[in-house]
Amino acid sequence: MVLQAALEAGMDIPHYCYHPSLSVVASCRLCLMEMKVPDPKSGELVWMPKLVPSCQTPVKEGMEVRFNSPAVQQNQQQCMEYFLLNHPLDCPVCDQAGECYLQDYSYRFGQPTSRMVEEKLKNPKKDVGPRTLLYQDRCVMCSRCVRFTDEIAGTHELTVVNRGNRAEIDVFPGLPLNNPLQGNVVDLCPVGSLLDKDFLFKQRVWLLRETKSICPGCSTGCAIRIDHNEGVIYRLKPRFSPKVNDYWMCDEGRFGWKYLQDGDRLTRPVVRRGGEVFYPRWEDIPEIINYRLRKLAEQQTPTAVVLSPMLACEEAWLIASYVRALLPQAVLVASWLPVQGAEQNFPVGSPAEKARFTIRPEKCPNRRGVELLINKLGGASSTLEDLIKQVKEKKIKAAWITGGYSQRDWVSKELAAAAKELELLVMQDLYANALTDNSHVLLPSCCWAEREGSFVNQAGLIQPFERAVDGPEGTRRDGQYLYEIAGYSGLYRAEKVRERMAEQLAEFRDIYVAPDPPEHQH
Amino acid sequence: MSWKAYDRNQPVMDPQAPPVLTEAVREKIRSFFPRYETKRAVLLPALHIVQELLGYVSYQAMKEIADLLEIHASDVLDVVSFYTHFANHPKGRKTVMVCRSLSCELMGGKAVLEAVKNTLQIQEHGTSTDGQYFLVTEECLAECDHAPCLKINERTYHQVKATDVSRILADEKNAELSIARSSLFDPPGH
Repeated sequence: MVLQAALEAGMDIPHYCYHPSLSVVASCRLCLMEMKVPDPKSGELVWMPKLVPSCQTPVKEGMEVRFNSPAVQQNQQQCMEYFLLNHPLDCPVCDQAGECYLQDYSYRFGQPTSRMVEEKLKNPKKDVGPRTLLYQDRCVMCSRCVRFTDEIAGTHELTVVNRGNRAEIDVFPGLPLNNPLQGNVVDLCPVGSLLDKDFLFKQRVWLLRETKSICPGCSTGCAIRIDHNEGVIYRLKPRFSPKVNDYWMCDEGRFGWKYLQDGDRLTRPVVRRGGEVFYPRWEDIPEIINYRLRKLAEQQTPTAVVLSPMLACEEAWLIASYVRALLPQAVLVASWLPVQGAEQNFPVGSPAEKARFTIRPEKCPNRRGVELLINKLGGASSTLEDLIKQVKEKKIKAAWITGGYSQRDWVSKELAAAAKELELLVMQDLYANALTDNSHVLLPSCCWAEREGSFVNQAGLIQPFERAVDGPEGTRRDGQYLYEIAGYSGLYRAEKVRERMAEQLAEFRDIYVAPDPPEHQH
Repeated sequence: MSWKAYDRNQPVMDPQAPPVLTEAVREKIRSFFPRYETKRAVLLPALHIVQELLGYVSYQAMKEIADLLEIHASDVLDVVSFYTHFANHPKGRKTVMVCRSLSCELMGGKAVLEAVKNTLQIQEHGTSTDGQYFLVTEECLAECDHAPCLKINERTYHQVKATDVSRILADEKNAELSIARSSLFDPPGH
């Protein structure tokens, strides 16, 4: 389509209803352009008197179009006047202000004053679902949200009721917008009509800083953006990633990050020695760990390293290669896998190969990454069940266990009982549990938004993510202290570590970074 | 929350209420299925049948039609609210449509409308107290050569004078057509 081509060429063509992943309706009329067509008499190409929607016109060889003519500009101005006829102009209390395309286009094409002298139509606010509010006043009837529920989610909750200037977006009373992808309609809304109850009145958007990240909610590994301000995360938004999540993300990921701001996180390292408890400084941790592990090596104690699927590849590699350097016989173990529910494909009811979005039952971001590392590093490996048996049979006497799950009850009774038999337990986790309480060295973890690294998703794409915020006071990023434990000095940069990994493991040379969509596309 | 918002999470109909569409009506709707490629296409015939049966299409009926056609209830609401022909609230058995377009207006349409309002003691979009009449104005009834005109259900009255109105409305059989009406969309038992 001409509009997409123009956007990809960097032109800022105004549009509301067009979205590259939804069907084209050409209803907003903002993207109209002039086009040359053959004259019926002479056959030569002349400018067509009527404007045509660029979102609906396919690009052809030798085509001539223009967006900068007076007719096109006049149309844009007139359209904006219509869109703003009944708009309540409540930007000061509107969540969308700052990222609103009514504001942007009004600034570019709108008139400073309204010529409307009649009373504005006042439409009600509607509570259309458990997570979403609809401010009908602000709506421009682009119907993106309706097409999303029809075409991507396949749940059809939203619809257009009434007609003409009285048209409204609504749901059937009693059948609210309640599907696992509903947060996306808020992202799709080019104006402040559909609002997220979770983010409502929390923060002005121009104060937010954006960090590119990867959702840790399931093994799909959606590309996301963390919006945060002064160390507090306010919301997650999907990023365009054609190979993974297109433009969407699920509500589980979008709203499932709240655990990391709960306030009962582990914040300082602990050393337990013969019933005594010490709280060492972070600076002393590398020496303590080194001393303990060298002792294990001297006594040739059989040791296991349990790698959590919540770890980034770089962190898992730092632990595994460090322990293996001291204890070449160390057993590598993939940790507990959080699995919940079944695979959900969208549109609802479509088979997996036709699905446009999938929520996967494996609720961790990096199972494949950890398994890849364990395979590529070679040597002894085992499963968590076997490890528990081996510990009970005294075949394994020391372990370094990593957690970092959002599920606080991830430690099974068997694992907790087995851990008590260990001579040395080095533990990394977010929250206190049976293992952290019995560990000899406890290293508090940071969650994914507070770290940097890369996750390998279910399709095998290695996707890097950046750090958005700092962990709670007292914590250090896992990468940083692992880097220091492994004997490096200076600041931990995931990219540098990845380069070092790639020297050993060729798989980590190809990382997948989603391309940025055209600047003016929205 | 400190402002008023319509709550769309709560159903407006009683979930325990018995179905409004009888098996005979459902069968009539199903008889349209072979005519079209999809069941969705039967929506308009189904709405005609239900409106003929109940006088309007209630939310309960919309939900039942949606279940019958295997579409979402919101799609039915979309169509019902789009066409002014369909009402989603109870209204009089007969609809009086008065033209408010140019030709009728010039020929005294306004007086006719006033006469209807006075006779039935109702306003536009109102239903008379006996539940017989429902009054709307229409943009054009396509009878400009016989202006002013009004329509009661499907029967059109030409060159209506304001003084004729009370006589027309008093007639019991004022909605009956001179030719036989197609019974295609009549619900069973009508």
